[in-house]
Amino acid sequence: MLRTINLTKKYGTHTALNNLNLSVQAGEIFCLLGANGAGKTTTINLFMNFIQATSGQVFINDLEVAQQAQATKKHLAYIPENLNLYGNLTGLENLQFFAGLGGEKPKKEVASQLLKSVGLQSEAINKRVKQYSKGMRQKVGIAIAKAKQADNLLLDEPTSGLDPQASNDFAQLLREMRENKVAILMATHDLFRAKETGTHIGIMKEGDLVHTLKSDEIKLNELEQLYLETMKTESHATANN
Amino acid sequence: MLLLIIKKEILAALRNVRLQIAGIFLIALMLVAVLLGRQGQQLIHKEREKAQSAMYDIWVNQGMKHPHSAAHFGQFAFKPKPVLSFLDVGLDNYTGTSVFLEAHKQNEILFSAAQDSNAMIRFGEMTMALVLQILLPLLIIFLTFNIFSKEREEGTLKLIYAQGLSMRQLFMAKVWATYVMVLAIFIPVICIAYFLLDYQSVSMDPNIGLKFIGLTITYALYFLVFVLLSVLISAFAKKSSISLLSLLGLWIVACIILPKATANLADKAYPTPSQFEFRNTIREKVKNGIDGHNPRDERLNALKQKVLDQYEVSSVEELPVNWSGIAMQAGEEYTDKIYDREFTRVENIFKKQNRLSEWVGFINPYLAIRHLSMAFAGTDFDHHTAFARAAENYRRAFVKKMNKDMELNHTPGIAYGDYNVGKEMWSSIKPFAYQLPDLTSILSKQWRSVAALVTWLLGLFFIASIFSNSISKI
Repeated sequence: MLRTINLTKKYGTHTALNNLNLSVQAGEIFCLLGANGAGKTTTINLFMNFIQATSGQVFINDLEVAQQAQATKKHLAYIPENLNLYGNLTGLENLQFFAGLGGEKPKKEVASQLLKSVGLQSEAINKRVKQYSKGMRQKVGIAIAKAKQADNLLLDEPTSGLDPQASNDFAQLLREMRENKVAILMATHDLFRAKETGTHIGIMKEGDLVHTLKSDEIKLNELEQLYLETMKTESHATANN
Repeated sequence: MLLLIIKKEILAALRNVRLQIAGIFLIALMLVAVLLGRQGQQLIHKEREKAQSAMYDIWVNQGMKHPHSAAHFGQFAFKPKPVLSFLDVGLDNYTGTSVFLEAHKQNEILFSAAQDSNAMIRFGEMTMALVLQILLPLLIIFLTFNIFSKEREEGTLKLIYAQGLSMRQLFMAKVWATYVMVLAIFIPVICIAYFLLDYQSVSMDPNIGLKFIGLTITYALYFLVFVLLSVLISAFAKKSSISLLSLLGLWIVACIILPKATANLADKAYPTPSQFEFRNTIREKVKNGIDGHNPRDERLNALKQKVLDQYEVSSVEELPVNWSGIAMQAGEEYTDKIYDREFTRVENIFKKQNRLSEWVGFINPYLAIRHLSMAFAGTDFDHHTAFARAAENYRRAFVKKMNKDMELNHTPGIAYGDYNVGKEMWSSIKPFAYQLPDLTSILSKQWRSVAALVTWLLGLFFIASIFSNSISKI
């Protein structure tokens, strides 16, 4: 379970995240939507303890991140936006390495099977990652996350730059993980993917979580309308300033 | 986990063509330096041994003559080439190789390699020490400059951290991974060097095995200092380009600018007299006395009176011993006293210069390793003065023996040309044999450099343990 209480992050006078209260339960996919600088990545970074909160608390399975940063990592898998991996290592070696850091290094056969299960072609498994497309690297990232068998997953713009097929495959994998009771928090710009994959959707604007919705209670065109209106308000607010 | 990271770093480096080429180039360079150095060391050592033996033969076979003439005929002392000098030639190219030993005079040690070489020797000979002290740190820089920053730029640092590894654990893992790679280059070559040691010359170089181990350990510590420093800079640099520029800047300052600046500073702080001044001071003091109030004539008259009183005679002609022999030995001893004072004075100036450079080792680890490397190899200033003192002691002993023979056996009344001795006398003087200082003596003189290197290591580990957890992941 992922949870924040009154979470705020300020950079000098600029408020990147303002009083965020968020909760993602096991089996939920919470998609954070918003323009660049809305606070989506800041939220993910605070969950990951990459940065320190100005005030408020972040919890992963009831463990407070600021107090028990290392312990929370056992319950957490993460896929960053630009996952480059190690170009000189193969997909298999990358998976074995990262999975090994997270716990037990999987055997070759197990790791190969895992890579195949996320849709990586057999002939690519032993190729060096520098020859991979972004979609293929992202699949290795998912395999790394799956290998960890964590009950929470954080995704920062995971589908940016993926072709529609790869994006669809990715969504399918997320749904599988949701069925396995993983709590997923995903920052994305992709309204369609958020509506189609997420169980909950949050719209962020200038550090505030403005709307929280259940995805099955809103249609895609309504979501788009709401999103655009929210962004427009933002524009007006900026203009008024 | 540590092993996993070490394995991954090595695998990634082995698959990096640029690093492969740099590593192979460096190994080849070290092998060439070791093989050529060893060949050169053996050749020079044999040449000097041969020359020493030939000169002694000439001494023994000089024929019948007066002992004082033999003292002027003189002998040569050749500086043996230390066994480990093939690893670090040190000051050997600039200090002389042999000295002519004769009565009344303390000659300079002449014929340095630099005298016979072109200006290129100023840039340093291609030795193992040059590769290890200057070029291997460059490889360390290329191995480490982006070891953190690239991970940060490519997002893998976040992923590693997400797996539950602390930045401190990752920092140490990267340090040991780099260190293993450096040792993988260094150890095989140093092992080859060990098997190439010239065991025929070991007799003149005590504790050679321990000195070799000391040299190896010292270099291993030096590399660890460089690895820690480089990984630290990479960890805190925002970009790989900044890290590379910072490290290269540091390398230039540490290996090129600071050593020159330190040498200049030492020379300005403790100026050394010229050879002419040194000789002139001795000449003046011999002539006028140490304090300027005891000229040679007065000293000689006082000695004569003392000898006459001792034998209860009124003139030197009545003495049962040869007055000239006594006077010459007294003159020798007085000159020796002045020479020792002046030599020690100049030696102390050089020592102060060296000490200053050793203290700078606390700022610049390159200077610490340079001093230690030369000391273990037997090519530093202390080894040179040890040879100079050994040669001078030998000169004094054989001149004294000549003077004593003259005093006791060249009885008054016999003309100078009528008293001659031969081979038996010359053979009674044993050939010049010199042993290099042992390990204890080296370590007692080099404690500052050892302390500097250890301080660097402890300091860097301390800094790493405090700050490594605050390494930025994004």
